[in-house]
Amino acid sequence: MKRSLLILVIALLAGSALFASSYLMSRRVCETCASSATDNLEWLRREFHLDNAEMERMRQLHDGYLPKCAAMCEQIAAKKQELDAALAGSTNITAVAKQKLTELALLRAECQAQMLQHFVEVSQAMPPEQGRRYLAEMERLTVGEHEQTEETMSDHHGHVHGGN
Amino acid sequence: MKPENTDPNDARLGSLLREARATPSLPPRFREGVWRRIEESETPAAAQLNWLDALAAWALRPRFALAAAAILICAGSIFGAVQGTQANHENAQTRYVTSVAPNSLR
Repeated sequence: MKRSLLILVIALLAGSALFASSYLMSRRVCETCASSATDNLEWLRREFHLDNAEMERMRQLHDGYLPKCAAMCEQIAAKKQELDAALAGSTNITAVAKQKLTELALLRAECQAQMLQHFVEVSQAMPPEQGRRYLAEMERLTVGEHEQTEETMSDHHGHVHGGN
Repeated sequence: MKPENTDPNDARLGSLLREARATPSLPPRFREGVWRRIEESETPAAAQLNWLDALAAWALRPRFALAAAAILICAGSIFGAVQGTQANHENAQTRYVTSVAPNSLR
């Protein structure tokens, strides 16, 4: 009985090792093949089944948007530094710090609006059905995640924002 | 000199030979031992032992071992490919979202 049990245990271990090694190898090969593609827009092509002409249009829109986004990010970073300076060493929120917070929020809102405008333009350059799906997905991945965080926080602390 | 008896049908000689044959005495509690072994062979433990032996013998068959190895390799590869593709898809999506939406806006 001991010998049979030993044979079965060894067979099980060998089987598990075989399955695990093929799984890991196959996964590694898949990931290596895909990681060689460094194009940031590859997801658009695959997810929304875009042809070359549509991808060319996407690339133009993307390249046109990136400098605007970078400029806005620089402004936000500079404003954050100003806010940090206003907050440094103080034990209270000063009027200057409040002003900087408001300015930072305005910049972020402006940047967000610009981003959403880009999503709308990209969605309009896609076939209608894919465009709708793209817009919904991007709103979920960007603005939606922020809303989820707010909802989670209000649930945890019993706060209701904007309630009557 | 006494003549040698070569008659194979000599009844007296036959009975003498039978009496002379040593009949070994049975070991103590022989009968109990036999019954115990019969009972043990009918218990579930023995059935389990047979089942394990059969399974082990089956696992050692080359045809079964090869088939099992092929199935495991195929299943592992397919599962790994599916998972890898899914991970790639998520990475590509993250790359795109990161390129258009700075972290401070998400």
